[in-house]
Amino acid sequence: MARSLEVLEGGIQTTVQDYPGRRGMLARGFFPAGPMDHFAFRAANLLVGNPEPAAGLEVTLGGVTLRFDAGATVAVAGAEAEAAVDGERIPLWESRRVAAGSQLRIGVSQGPGFRIYVGISGGIDVPPLFGSRATYTMGALGGFEGRALKAGDRLALGGESGDGTPRRFRPSARPPYSREWEIEATRGPHAAPDFLTEEDMQTLFGRWWSVDRNSNRTGIRLESHLFQWARTTGGIAGGHPSNILDNSYPVGAVNVNGDLPVILGPDGPTAGGFICAATVAHAGFWKIGQLRPVGDRVRFREVTVEEAIALDRELDERLTVASLESV
Amino acid sequence: MTTQAIIETVAGSGGKPAITYRLAGDRCLLVEYGEMEFDLTLNFFVLAVDDALRGRPADGIIETAPGFRSILVSYDPFVLATGDLLEHLHAVHEGLGAEQEMAIPSRTVHLPVAFDDSQTRAAVARYVHSIRADAPNAEGGTNVDYIVRYNGLADREELYESILQTEQWTAFIGFFPGLPFMFPLDPRDAVFVPKYNPTRTWTPEGALGLGGPCFAIYPVESAGGYQLVGRTLPIYDVQARNAIFRENPLLLRAGDRVKFHRVGEEELLALFEDVHADRYRYRIEEGVFEVGEYLEWLPQVKDEADERRRRRDEAAAVTPVP
Repeated sequence: MARSLEVLEGGIQTTVQDYPGRRGMLARGFFPAGPMDHFAFRAANLLVGNPEPAAGLEVTLGGVTLRFDAGATVAVAGAEAEAAVDGERIPLWESRRVAAGSQLRIGVSQGPGFRIYVGISGGIDVPPLFGSRATYTMGALGGFEGRALKAGDRLALGGESGDGTPRRFRPSARPPYSREWEIEATRGPHAAPDFLTEEDMQTLFGRWWSVDRNSNRTGIRLESHLFQWARTTGGIAGGHPSNILDNSYPVGAVNVNGDLPVILGPDGPTAGGFICAATVAHAGFWKIGQLRPVGDRVRFREVTVEEAIALDRELDERLTVASLESV
Repeated sequence: MTTQAIIETVAGSGGKPAITYRLAGDRCLLVEYGEMEFDLTLNFFVLAVDDALRGRPADGIIETAPGFRSILVSYDPFVLATGDLLEHLHAVHEGLGAEQEMAIPSRTVHLPVAFDDSQTRAAVARYVHSIRADAPNAEGGTNVDYIVRYNGLADREELYESILQTEQWTAFIGFFPGLPFMFPLDPRDAVFVPKYNPTRTWTPEGALGLGGPCFAIYPVESAGGYQLVGRTLPIYDVQARNAIFRENPLLLRAGDRVKFHRVGEEELLALFEDVHADRYRYRIEEGVFEVGEYLEWLPQVKDEADERRRRRDEAAAVTPVP
């Protein structure tokens, strides 16, 4: 009989995700989906001995209970939260065996951080759609029936992988969590001097931005800000100087929609008619998955493309078995 | 450390538009063509470049996504350095002929449309009831009369005729899976309207909307901001209930020309059922769009298009904005 798990409590938004998600579909209007925090997601997969493309769970905030119908190696990583197997507290960033019939409970996170990832040996075996098992909430597709999980859902698991040995992700290799996040970003595509003033760019990169309550996988809304703008109107594209003729957006773009900057998340709109003043570096993108709506603050740190790529290489090096130690 | 968003510009020459290369993070480059003008010729150039890029793939290019006058190129910087990507793009641009000589693969897709149908009226009614009762664009329970008024048209029939007469150019797909951004190829049929303010929370599948100068078809039930003129058939189905969606859940692609024909609402609803029961066959003709022929034709209709535009500008100036 196929291995599976049953969802007893789904929490506010728990989805099946894989990394790097659904690529090659941007020109058809699909953002990649995938884990909002790819670091913790990849770490959880690594801990349970899964290959990188294996699907796991993204838990928003917590309040989730899963029952395993087969033995499995599991690891929980990401936001600070109480996790327990059959009532016994387990540490995050560590893998362990659970027996058939065991229940994994993830409590509501008090932070820091907002999303918790569950890696399960063998991965979640939902049918791939366009090369990925990731749930794309805006398109209501992929993952498990294109939606967040709820009580009663039964997820098939892939064949066992790894040797089941408990391992720990070295504390020194884990990223620091905070209520104030400095996120690396490059300037542009639409910045100073043609769209915003240099002073606007200094403000964008200099100040702290509060995370709005209406933030989710489609985007992180920040605070309204009256930029000076280098132009008085958007001309033929619209009255507001943030308007441009519609173009495709990069994931992680800091999209300025009127006066409101929004960081485009993995489920965001693929195109639109607003400028993107900066773009979050791939190596810093995981942090947007850990931003807690209401309370957390963000500051963008400007980096060059070369610096962004170097940071990405460091991050990849941390996501290898060299970062694992025995428990 | 501070950098510049624009990493290179190339002046236009030989009938080709200027090119601006913009950083879009460490994994994307945004390539823009010409100036920010509402000029479909720029989109023809975009689609010709996109086609040429597919014909000359480079290791490390993950995907390309056209916009109205731009292409977003996603790449893997560990496989393809930014400088090498620029070199590759230069070579592709240099290998292209002038705009006048371009021929773009372009299908003609025929779709029925029922104007001011009860489903789009229901979306407007829901908006008036639950979001904004005094929206000037929803007077009379429809957006159609507002579009007529804003463009200085004589009546609804004049609007419908303009939508039916022209072919709509699919400039690109985006925002949402399968959503086409379409523009009338005949400038005499250009219409313009401001978007909803605030946006609507529900739109029926297949609704045909107008926002600014752009027509869009809603692929699924969703929120939306475009003024609604009617409803056509499904253009997206991941369940592939109709054969047309089996290989690709999207009906339309950039470069398609959409030609609408008018049907009554009852007929449209019957066709909707036929699509889902796999009895309906979408009418699609393969073809090529000759940019030169189109550019030669444009001057013949210029005076008439300009006159209509004047009429529209006069009407728009005295029409309230939502």
